[in-house]
Amino acid sequence: MAGTKRSKRFEALENRPVHLDGFIGEWIEVGLYAMGSPQDPKPSIKIEGDKIVEMDGKPRSEFTAIEQFVADYAVNTKNATEAMAKSEIELSRMLVDINVPRTECIRLFTALTPAKVARVLETMNVVEMMMAMQKMRCRQTPANQAHVTSAKDHPVMLAADAAEATFRGFKEIETTVGVVRYGPFNALALLVGGQVGRRGTLSQDALEEAFELEVGMRGLTHYAETVSVYGTERVFVDGDDTPWSKSFLASAYASRGLKMRFTSGTGSEVQMGAAEGKSMLYLETLCIMVTKGAGVQGLQNGSISCIGVPGAVPSGLRAVTAENLITMCLDLEVASGNDQTFTHSDQRRTARTMPQFLPGTDWIFSGYSAVPNYDNMFAGSNWDIADVDDYLALQRDFKVDGGLRPVQEEDVIAVRSKAGRAMQAVFEELGFPPITDDEVEACTYAFGSKDIGDRNIPEDLKAAERLMKEGITGVDVAKALAKRGFRDVAESLILMMRQRVAGDYLQTSAWVASDGTVYSAVNDPNTYMGPGTGYKMSDERWEEIKSIPWAIRAEDI
Amino acid sequence: MQINPELLEKIVTEVLAEIEASGAAPASAAAVTAAPEAVAGVSLQEKGPASRGTDPKEVVLAISPAFATTFKTTIVGIPLSAVLRQVFAGTEEEGLHVRVIRVYHTSDVAFMAHQAARLSGSGIGIGILSRGTSIIHQRNLAPLSNLELFPQSPVIDLPTFRAIGKNAAKYAKGESPTPVPTNNDPMARPRYQGLAALLHNKEASFQDPSKAPVELAVSFE
Repeated sequence: MAGTKRSKRFEALENRPVHLDGFIGEWIEVGLYAMGSPQDPKPSIKIEGDKIVEMDGKPRSEFTAIEQFVADYAVNTKNATEAMAKSEIELSRMLVDINVPRTECIRLFTALTPAKVARVLETMNVVEMMMAMQKMRCRQTPANQAHVTSAKDHPVMLAADAAEATFRGFKEIETTVGVVRYGPFNALALLVGGQVGRRGTLSQDALEEAFELEVGMRGLTHYAETVSVYGTERVFVDGDDTPWSKSFLASAYASRGLKMRFTSGTGSEVQMGAAEGKSMLYLETLCIMVTKGAGVQGLQNGSISCIGVPGAVPSGLRAVTAENLITMCLDLEVASGNDQTFTHSDQRRTARTMPQFLPGTDWIFSGYSAVPNYDNMFAGSNWDIADVDDYLALQRDFKVDGGLRPVQEEDVIAVRSKAGRAMQAVFEELGFPPITDDEVEACTYAFGSKDIGDRNIPEDLKAAERLMKEGITGVDVAKALAKRGFRDVAESLILMMRQRVAGDYLQTSAWVASDGTVYSAVNDPNTYMGPGTGYKMSDERWEEIKSIPWAIRAEDI
Repeated sequence: MQINPELLEKIVTEVLAEIEASGAAPASAAAVTAAPEAVAGVSLQEKGPASRGTDPKEVVLAISPAFATTFKTTIVGIPLSAVLRQVFAGTEEEGLHVRVIRVYHTSDVAFMAHQAARLSGSGIGIGILSRGTSIIHQRNLAPLSNLELFPQSPVIDLPTFRAIGKNAAKYAKGESPTPVPTNNDPMARPRYQGLAALLHNKEASFQDPSKAPVELAVSFE
């Protein structure tokens, strides 16, 4: 542009944050295309006996492993002829029609082929998708999940952040690591801190799959979510997996009484260079159906860590909304993303969350960063702790239950401190590197890991290894807590281990209340059938949402 | 670095041209007829199949199919010759040396590094993708586990590459080094993920599932 006279208006616009985002054009041949690619298969089905012999234009003899799995386990052949005979418009209108109950939609959508499902969603705009979500999510009361991580993997900071997060209302918390060998300590920090903040918290440690299963079996975590499935055979096989091996892993969790869900999302196949020219939403539909076929209760999707890909192409965020809705239409719990940065623009990131926030989902975020994004070891969430008052304001502005509640500073300081002291006691009892009073103090009052000192990392790593080698379990942690005066926290740990035996929280979309009651799609099913039905905010909850501490009260003037 | 629209366009055009030229044939054809490997500052000569080493003083570095051939720099423009030089220097500071292999059967950095670790006399391997994503691996770990992972290619700078070489050497000596400090830029994804997808599609087009890892002679110019 040298020598060309520039418009000051355009120069100003170019300096806006949105211009830092990587927007890219569609590229059909590699599948850099959100939904409705001309290369997507055309819906079709042929059934002989109760076996699908042709699906979406392909005879059974040519099925990939994924297509075979979906055809055999994820399409209800009993209703398939009836469901497939309906037009895409008929089916999408059923989703937004308040006179068609959720159960009827489920009956038909679980009998459709992948290409048909993807095509139904193509007929919908995002407002229609949101209307459908209000009816189709399986649990009536929405909830929220948080990320709790630390750039320093600092065990005390993690425990304090876990306590604050669950005190603020996050019912599930998830961690991962900067350094993988810190994994056992991160699990321990969320276990202890999570129960300090709210008894009944479900916590998880997203790492290598065998490790995740082991810490779960030991009672150091309560659920798992990062069991990834993909929409093309090549990506699946690259990860050393098949739909059958993932199903086997899922059954390992179930047999040990551990909640779990799969993870997938638009953009992962093209990100890994193996989308085979199909649209992101069509491939994601296969993932959702693999999840259904595996018998898993739920799925985390909404692009997740690949959000920069659909976020960069036209209609990408519409596709992300659509994938959440498909998950609901197959009667699965959905942890609906919003969990990764994809834009520099505050407008875009807020807008991206509205399709899940306004209608409500099982887990609106999966998760919301309960730490500053510089500490977010999932590489940053769409919202972080610095945005939490904005979030509370949005709940209040729209009278929406986004799962969080306003809190008082002194209460947060108290739970952070208690979590730090509980970790200090556990470390001392188990012979781990000492946690000083100064560390507890610093972590109680810190904003993020930049405000606290460094641990002796090699010593911590050796101790974390010892935790695994010596077979330390949740019971050992509970004993240490009880011995050192944290009996209430110890009881919470035992309460959560009892859930593993009772198994109620294996039901679809479960969370655990502080009295041990499990709420799920079984005892809190979504009954939405239009205005005046479905989730109704209680007066008590509305009072709570209204009471942001910084609002000016008329009686004070 | 901002995303360079011209670079994007160039990659898209090149890959499209290749798709057209090769029809539906496996894209790996391009790799089989690879031109002499040339990138300024380093020469990489293929020496034959990579073998399992016995030297406890070696760290094996696996590089991806198009590293320092089609791709000259990382995603943020760091020359790949400088990347290699820093990894070598870091390892040599600890009195060990690097043996380099090129992996063709995968461009998944975890599996690349695990392959390197399995061939390494010390049991320690490093994997580096052309765009910069890196990992330090150990033979007896599960492929998707690791000793240290550097997942955000845009934030990996030359001192980090040197530290990766140094720490890999320390692991090889049986030490427990403090892990290389993790850079974390929450805004790396918004800026680079689309580009990373394009780069990965390009790199993956050089994959050849039937081709075993090849040992490389490395000389810096």
